[in-house]
Amino acid sequence: MTPVFLLNLMWQLSLLAVVTLGLAIIFGQLRIMNMAHGEFVMIGAYAPIITSTLGLPNWMQLPVCIASVALVALILERAIIRHLYGRLFDSLLATWGISILLREMVELAFGRGFQSVPLPISGTVSWIGIDYPAYRSVIIGVIILLFIGLTIWYKRSLVATRIKAMVNNPELAQAVGINTVSLSRRCFVFGCISAGLAGLIIAPTAQISPLMGLDYLIRSFFVVVVGGLGSLEGLAIGVGLIAGSQTLLGALFNQTYGYIFVLVLSILFLWLRPNGIYRNS
Amino acid sequence: MASIVIPSGLLLGTLLLIPSLFGDFTAYQIGLFLIYGIVAQGIGFLWGKTGILPLGQTIFFGSTAYASAHILINIETLGWQLVLMLLSVLIAGAIAYVLATMVFRGKTDSGPYFSLITLALVLIAEQLASTSPNITGGFNGLSGYEPIAQLDPFGNLYYLIVGVTVVSTMLLLALNRLPAGLIARAVSDNEPRLQLLGFATHKIKGLVFAMSAMLAATAGVLFASHQGIVTPTSAGFALSAQFIIWTAVGGRFHVLGPLLGSVVLAWLTAELRDDFIYWEISIAAIFILVVLKSPGGLAEIISIYFKKLVKAQVSEEPSYCAAPNVKSQQPAATLQFDQCHLQVGVVQILKGVTFTTPAQGVVCIIGPNGAGKTSLLNVITGNLLASKGTILLAEKHIHCRPPYAALSSGIGRKLQVPSVFFSMTVGENLTVATLAQRAKWYHYFSAKPLLWRSAYISSLLAHEALPLTHNLAKQVSELPQGHRQFLEFAMTAAAQPRLLLLDEPCAGLSTAETHLMTDLIRQYQTQTKGLVLLIEHDMSIVEALSDKVLVLHQGQVLAFASYVEVKANKDVAAVYAGGTK
Repeated sequence: MTPVFLLNLMWQLSLLAVVTLGLAIIFGQLRIMNMAHGEFVMIGAYAPIITSTLGLPNWMQLPVCIASVALVALILERAIIRHLYGRLFDSLLATWGISILLREMVELAFGRGFQSVPLPISGTVSWIGIDYPAYRSVIIGVIILLFIGLTIWYKRSLVATRIKAMVNNPELAQAVGINTVSLSRRCFVFGCISAGLAGLIIAPTAQISPLMGLDYLIRSFFVVVVGGLGSLEGLAIGVGLIAGSQTLLGALFNQTYGYIFVLVLSILFLWLRPNGIYRNS
Repeated sequence: MASIVIPSGLLLGTLLLIPSLFGDFTAYQIGLFLIYGIVAQGIGFLWGKTGILPLGQTIFFGSTAYASAHILINIETLGWQLVLMLLSVLIAGAIAYVLATMVFRGKTDSGPYFSLITLALVLIAEQLASTSPNITGGFNGLSGYEPIAQLDPFGNLYYLIVGVTVVSTMLLLALNRLPAGLIARAVSDNEPRLQLLGFATHKIKGLVFAMSAMLAATAGVLFASHQGIVTPTSAGFALSAQFIIWTAVGGRFHVLGPLLGSVVLAWLTAELRDDFIYWEISIAAIFILVVLKSPGGLAEIISIYFKKLVKAQVSEEPSYCAAPNVKSQQPAATLQFDQCHLQVGVVQILKGVTFTTPAQGVVCIIGPNGAGKTSLLNVITGNLLASKGTILLAEKHIHCRPPYAALSSGIGRKLQVPSVFFSMTVGENLTVATLAQRAKWYHYFSAKPLLWRSAYISSLLAHEALPLTHNLAKQVSELPQGHRQFLEFAMTAAAQPRLLLLDEPCAGLSTAETHLMTDLIRQYQTQTKGLVLLIEHDMSIVEALSDKVLVLHQGQVLAFASYVEVKANKDVAAVYAGGTK
């Protein structure tokens, strides 16, 4: 275990955590099996390209990312997703259709080829005795802070309580005056935005293409399945298992073994522990 | 018969005309789309009937395509080639059966998770196919072999494909008309009820999944010969996704729907992909629309118009025939609870229940809400597993076996909220119940058992007042609650179990209907000389029916005696009148 390996592991863990967060909200809370999750990551990753195409300064990448993803998510929620609450199977199929739709639209707009964007922060910083890319270091820090904040918020805030109430019993939630229509919509859009932000973070370190979403979809789906729906603790465990084993096996053998191990692990969980490791309540 | 022969004949005629009307190249293209269509038909049957959505049919399609490429490369004689290809199809079916029965055992609701498992499997298959060049030729695939029997893909191979397509269509159309198809539909309609009727539903799902896998595998064999090359895409996720879209848009509830969807959409894709840049987007939009608004797809829309054109024939009263006897008529037996505990989560529901019933008679179970009455029945049928203690029926342990084994040990159960097959007619519901414990495996593939009518069901239907008699052709979803109570009672009693468990059978019934129901229960008991366990809140019914009364309170037996004795019992009075006990 070299320090570089540890830092790479941290980087992979925090990336996967932020990628999965959106799905954990949409699948874990709203029970929409969002197969288009990877496409929202993909759209977020295109934000730097959109920004430079529009001739906007670089700091506009963040607002552009949020605005574009939120717009797409809002339209889709109004048109399609709101008919799918409580229809798990149909949600899987319809969001699958959505994923094709989004991929093809982005392909029409930006072409099929790979694109890349420069790192917003270049250079390296010294960590535990080694030089590590500054961008990755900053992102790891930001994501850790984000999750600490989120955990505190989720435990305490009124909105989080309302969401839990809505998930547990939508009719009763409506009866006690919770506007479930608008709450689900906001939840969905928030989940999509967080996926988009994950895409923005990934953009400088990945090859951007309309097809990039599938890999993120699969890994985050299996994180949610392994960890269990509906809790941040489960999310953390799932991320640790999936990203950890993939990175470890990838380093020891090769990427293929890591990938296949993750899939086998997920199958075992889907079969034997469909509720995941961490069961809420 | 006509409903099978006419569509298959029309299909055969149309497909045979294609080479001479549109030329060999079109026939070559259509041949590929038909191969895809066979896979989609398998998916359609599985998904439309049992509700299982397979996301990875290319596992079977691709692996047999690879296998038959190897066979065509390495084996010389046609006979051996065919034998090995058949073997590969059978292996695909066996693997599918084992996979599905393992995953579905002991569950009734793992549909979406099973889909994700098949998704993960297809990703593994694709990865293995592209990273093991020694076996699969890697990204370049396997090629350079002759098609099967040297049939020209641009010529005679087309007729082989048409033959297989027509056979698969006839097979599925026939299954639709047979008891096997009825049972497959019952799985997606109401799996817990089917289990209580004694059907091991995980095995049924396994069989249907195996059949769809074997159709995909057969198509894979044809694919290898037709394309002359097998690459990782034929075992990949993208093609699997296409299959699902074609099946959904074509219409999964009809045998010809998936075939239509595959041929039309794949053909349009081939024609339009390069010229019409919005084609893929349109397909996605159509797919979403179908999922949201028209789950029956194209086939449903066409059949609605077709039915408007062709007036439905007035179906005459079918001529029923006597059903064979139930497999083993067991003698009446006592039910014995000994220190039975049930814990769900942190809640103790049953706390040491002990009683022994007589072998015959009607025992009413009463008790305040939350006393554990329904849980008691759940423990008897195996829907919940007792955490401690023993339950004996005829001196045999019955507390650790799955619900589908309950009926064969002589236990029938009517649930609290009527649980029947809601998408079927009253007649079909009774047929499923009549098949239970009577049909042997081969009966499911013969049409005659659909007309079975047991003596008991006939005698029930002879009651003029029974609300089912004149509603046999009616959809259950149109029946009021009270009528469903009678239907479920009839279905539960159809197999003549020696222990009949009835959970509030008179709830929601009018006074006249209540009288009829209590008469039927009493009649059942005198006819079978068995035991009826009945949960009831209405004391007048308890008084009229019960030979003994079991009073449960907070998970324990408070009293077990005759109605008169229980009525005089001070503890029971205290519980009901809000005393201090």
